[in-house]
Amino acid sequence: MTVQLVEPDTPARPKLPPLVRMIVRRLLSASVVLLIVTVVVFAFIHAAPGGPEQAIAGREATPEQLEAIREANHLNDPLWQQYARYAVSLAHLDLGTSYTRNEPVATSIATAAGVTLPLLLATWVLSTILGAMLGLFTARRQGSRADRAVVGFTVVGASSPVFATGILVSYIFGVRLGWLPTLGVGDGGLDTVRHLALPVLTTTVVLLASTTRFARVRFGQVLDEDQVTFARARGLSSQYIVRTIVLKNSAVQMITLAGAVLVAMTGGLVVVEQVYGLPGIGTLLITGITMRDIPIVQGVTLVVAVLVVLINLVVDVLCFVVDPRLRKGLETEA
Amino acid sequence: MTGADTLLVERLPRPRRSLWRPKVPIAVVISLVFLAVAVLCVCAPFIAPHDPSFINPAESFRGPSAEHLLGTDQLGRDIVSRIIAGARTAVLAPLLLAAGTVLISTALAVLAGYAGGRVDGVIGRVNDVLYSIPSLTVAIVVVGVTGGGFALSICVLMIFALPANIRLLRAAVLERVHLPYIEAARTLGVSTPRILVTQLVPAISPLIVTSFFLQVTFAIVELSSLSFLGLGVPPGSPDWGRMLAENRSALSSNVWATAGPGLCLVALAVSANLIGDWLYTKYEQAGRSR
Repeated sequence: MTVQLVEPDTPARPKLPPLVRMIVRRLLSASVVLLIVTVVVFAFIHAAPGGPEQAIAGREATPEQLEAIREANHLNDPLWQQYARYAVSLAHLDLGTSYTRNEPVATSIATAAGVTLPLLLATWVLSTILGAMLGLFTARRQGSRADRAVVGFTVVGASSPVFATGILVSYIFGVRLGWLPTLGVGDGGLDTVRHLALPVLTTTVVLLASTTRFARVRFGQVLDEDQVTFARARGLSSQYIVRTIVLKNSAVQMITLAGAVLVAMTGGLVVVEQVYGLPGIGTLLITGITMRDIPIVQGVTLVVAVLVVLINLVVDVLCFVVDPRLRKGLETEA
Repeated sequence: MTGADTLLVERLPRPRRSLWRPKVPIAVVISLVFLAVAVLCVCAPFIAPHDPSFINPAESFRGPSAEHLLGTDQLGRDIVSRIIAGARTAVLAPLLLAAGTVLISTALAVLAGYAGGRVDGVIGRVNDVLYSIPSLTVAIVVVGVTGGGFALSICVLMIFALPANIRLLRAAVLERVHLPYIEAARTLGVSTPRILVTQLVPAISPLIVTSFFLQVTFAIVELSSLSFLGLGVPPGSPDWGRMLAENRSALSSNVWATAGPGLCLVALAVSANLIGDWLYTKYEQAGRSR
């Protein structure tokens, strides 16, 4: 057995600050992600049987009309040319024009985002903050009756499909009690708030299960650490322990969790919007798929993918800023 | 010294409940029973009281009766029979998906963890990229535009389920790669595939089993979400997720047409989750006491 000493490599050129290097590396991998998503969606949508011409022209269209539509939308060109054209228009920040809605894809997405974004933000804030609070509450009294009740809820909540929870919630509060509307988005203002209440409740309940569970485990780990015992021995208040030790030590995990919740919602809200008949991004995607509206489907998936990539980047940067140990780690690693 | 210790121990609060605690939690027992019933439904669809696709418009949305225990749906089909028939896709597909995911991720994780270096790097990079793709959205698009196909939805969801599992299992492999018995096997000249299969995989097998059950839960939730959206399973087939979508409009005339399959879905997912959790806790405790 030989002891190997690795020579520390001398940097040939002045190195960029670690944060910048990390962001550059992340952006590189992000572009790979976006490339894969666009190519996969493009390939499947064009390889799939049934083109968009039928949806545009209607049932009575003659073969000549269908052919004209295919020709007008360049659907007869070789696939790589179509992808190249798509990529060029993307480079001009142009998502194209919807086949069936007669408006730019960007406009459709912006309109739909007006429904989805409030839903997304409200659910995100509620489920993350309530989850952290419940997690802390239960982590501090593990094994108690309250803790076991909450854990039971998280198991059931986390393994219920969101549409099942949604149907239950809308049945109880919408149909049985008749407190809140269960369909559509209302006509703006307070009415919209009322219409969004049940979708927000549904998604929050489902996500709360995961966030509580995660927060409880992490807070529990920190509370088990020697530093907490030592702080207790020094007679520091539990308020101090929670604020300075527990929260600081779990900040990275909680930021990651908040990001993961957002990412999970990009898929989950598609289902929630179907349950409550909301004209949001998810509904736009589903109708786009059934109508074979290629630009819409491509546009929505791209926007969602960009969103996810951005979320991941922000999460990484935040963790990096919050935790000096990570910064140190990056410096020694590189 | 010892005296002081005992004093301290005596002053500690005693555990409140000294009642007899079963070795296996009751919830897990119930879960196992439910899984067994579900598997029975898969193996013996003929226990269904009616033909699950027998249409009788005269009996549309009837409430529960002696003839139809959970009533009927819009086309007068028996809900109980459809639930039993639906167990096939509801149980088999998640099991298949989970088995595939766990198998592939074990292979890749063991490879990455044992080989290290470039192999590990490549698998890690690909993993990172896959991990940051919005999986359900892409799955919806891919399954939706190709006109469904249950096998395709299983494959797509499987690919997206890989990264998390590979990460988990790889970490477990890394903990063991440098243990003396692996090194001993290598010194004795045991071939690499043999070391992987006979030494490493058994060492992480508790974790493999655990992630299998947790994967089943995810698979149940995601697959049923796809069928709720009308993707994946063909129309008319007795799938629990699809039944919820079809029957929810008639909640007032027959609640059970929706509640029945919904409860089965949740119970199935919860069962798999509880069993997985229980195994995981056992595995963790075993690790700690070592």
